[in-house]
Amino acid sequence: MLNDIEQGLTGVLAGIPWAQWFSSLFLLVMGLILGSIAARSVGRLMAERTSRHHTVMVRRLVFYVVVTVFVVAAMREVGFSLDVLLGAAGILTVAIGFASQTSASNMISGLFLLVEKPFEIGDFIEVDATIGEVVGIDMLSVKLRTPDNLYVRIPNETLIKTQVVNRSRFPIRRLDLVIGIAYAEDIEAVSALLLEVAEREPLCLEEPRPFIQVTGFGPSSVDMQFSCWVARENLLEGRSRLMISAKRALDEAGIEIPYPHTSVYAGSHSEPFRVQLLAPESPNNKKDASDVEQDS
Amino acid sequence: MEQESESQRDGVWAQPYGLGSGETQFHELGHVQLWVTMLDMEWQVRVRNLEAEGDPFSWIERVGHVLPGQDVPLQRFIRSSDDGGQLTFLPAVADRPTVIRPFQPLTIPAGQRCLIYVGTLIWMKICVGPERRVLTEVPLSTPLQTWVGRNTMEGELCYSSSTVARLVLEAVPKRPWRAVTPVTLINRGTGPLLLERFSLPTPLLSLHLNERGQLWTPGVTVECETDMNAASLRVDAKLSPAAGTCRKVAEARESLSRGRLVRAFDRIFG
Repeated sequence: MLNDIEQGLTGVLAGIPWAQWFSSLFLLVMGLILGSIAARSVGRLMAERTSRHHTVMVRRLVFYVVVTVFVVAAMREVGFSLDVLLGAAGILTVAIGFASQTSASNMISGLFLLVEKPFEIGDFIEVDATIGEVVGIDMLSVKLRTPDNLYVRIPNETLIKTQVVNRSRFPIRRLDLVIGIAYAEDIEAVSALLLEVAEREPLCLEEPRPFIQVTGFGPSSVDMQFSCWVARENLLEGRSRLMISAKRALDEAGIEIPYPHTSVYAGSHSEPFRVQLLAPESPNNKKDASDVEQDS
Repeated sequence: MEQESESQRDGVWAQPYGLGSGETQFHELGHVQLWVTMLDMEWQVRVRNLEAEGDPFSWIERVGHVLPGQDVPLQRFIRSSDDGGQLTFLPAVADRPTVIRPFQPLTIPAGQRCLIYVGTLIWMKICVGPERRVLTEVPLSTPLQTWVGRNTMEGELCYSSSTVARLVLEAVPKRPWRAVTPVTLINRGTGPLLLERFSLPTPLLSLHLNERGQLWTPGVTVECETDMNAASLRVDAKLSPAAGTCRKVAEARESLSRGRLVRAFDRIFG
C-alpha cells in the first residue's frame, strides 16, 4: 500500500517538468529585476526634464509593461496557452466584476483622474475637509500628507464625485485679510495706510495691485477686506507678516481695531439705569457675602 | 574704533581681499550690511538687511575684529585649507526678469526707435580661494516681486525695479549695487506703441565693470512688429560705448536658449 503511494508520488514528481518551471520562475524574477532597473533608469532620466507627477507615471508604466512581458513569457515557458487564459479571464471577469464593484469603480475613476489631471504629485489639494500634499496617485486611491503629517488615503471614486480644490495650480495666490476698524476712524486714511503696508512688504506682489474694499458695517466695526497677491509658496508667511505689519501700522497711527462690544441704550422715555458704586472687596465683605449665601 | 575708521576704504568688485584668521571684513553696500569672518576651520557670514530707504551711493569696507549683535543671523561654511584666506566679491544679475517702468508712460510713434537706460538690482556672491568658490549670495536690497502675464493663471514672477527707466544716461543713478542696461526699443508697427512697463530678461545678461567702478550689462534691443506679442528680443554682443573700457566680471546666469526667448517675447510688455 505504502509502496503504491510512494510509487505514485514519485511518478507525479518525475512527471513535472522541473526544468521548465525553474526557467519560468527565473524569467519572473528576471522580469521583476529588469522592470525595476528599467523603471528606475527611466525615472532618473525624466526627473531632470519633467514634473514629478509625469516621472512617477512613466516609471510605473515602464515597470508594469516589462513585468507583463516577462510574466507572459514565463507562462508560455510552462506551457500555459495565452488564449485559454484570456478566455478564462473573460468568464472570471464577470464573476469578479460583481464581487469587486468598488475596486473596479475606483480603478476606472483613477483612469479618469489620470486623463483629466486635476492635480499632480506635489500639489496641495483640498478634498472635503482634508487638506494635504499629494504624495501618490495610484490605481485605487490618492494618498495625501496633511500639514500635521498624517497619511490620508482617499479613494479615487470620492475624488471623482466630490469637489476638489487644487491650491497649487496657479503660481500666485490672493490673500484676503478681514480688518475691522472703529466707526470713528477715517476709512480713506486707513485704506491709504494699509496700501502703504502692502507696498513695503517684499512678499506682496506689486502687480496684480493690492486693494481694499469696505465689506460692511458690522456690529462693532466697519469691516474691510485687505487683499494682496503673493507667490503661492509664500502664502502662509505672507499672511502672518502682513497681519503683523498691518496691526503695527494701525497701532502707530492710533487707529482702533475694536473688539466686539455692545452699547446698551435704555430708550429716551425710560429712566436712566441706576448705577451703584460698591466698596472694594475686603475680607469682611467676602465673609458677609458667604453668610448671605448660607442664609439663602 | 579709530583704527577701524582709518582702515576704511571703498569696496571693489572682483578684487581679491586677504584676511587673517580671526579677522572680520565689514561691508555696507546698498541696503545690506555684511560681515565675513575667517576662522581656522570655517567662514562665517552675517547679513543684516537695512530699511530700504534712501539711495546709498557708497560702498564702505573695513577690516577689524568687531562683530554685530546676536540678532544678526549667522551662516557658517567649512573652510578648505587651500583657500589662503582669499575673499572675492562678485556681482551677479537677478535670477528672474526685472520689470522696468518709465517715470510716466512713454509713447513710441510708428517707425521710431528710442534708447532708455535702466538700473537693475544686483546680487553679491561671496567667493573664497583662488578658484572663487561661492559660499552664498545676497541681494543688495530687498527685491520686490511682481507678476507679468496676461492673467493670473499664465505668466511669470519677476522682480520689480525700484528705479525708473531714463532717456538720458546722466539721469541714471550710478550705484555700485546696480547695473546699467541700455535698452533700444524699435517700433516697426504701423501704430504708436505705449510703453508702460517692460520686462527685462536680466538672467540673460553678463556683467562688466568699467574703470569708474560702475557695472554695465550688454545692451538689449527689442523690436516690435505689428503687435506686442510679435516683439523680438536680442542681447547685443558688444557693450555700449558709453560704458567706457570694461572687463567682464560675471557671466549671465542663463544662456540664450530659443525656448526661453519665445516665452520672454510673450511677456515683454506684460
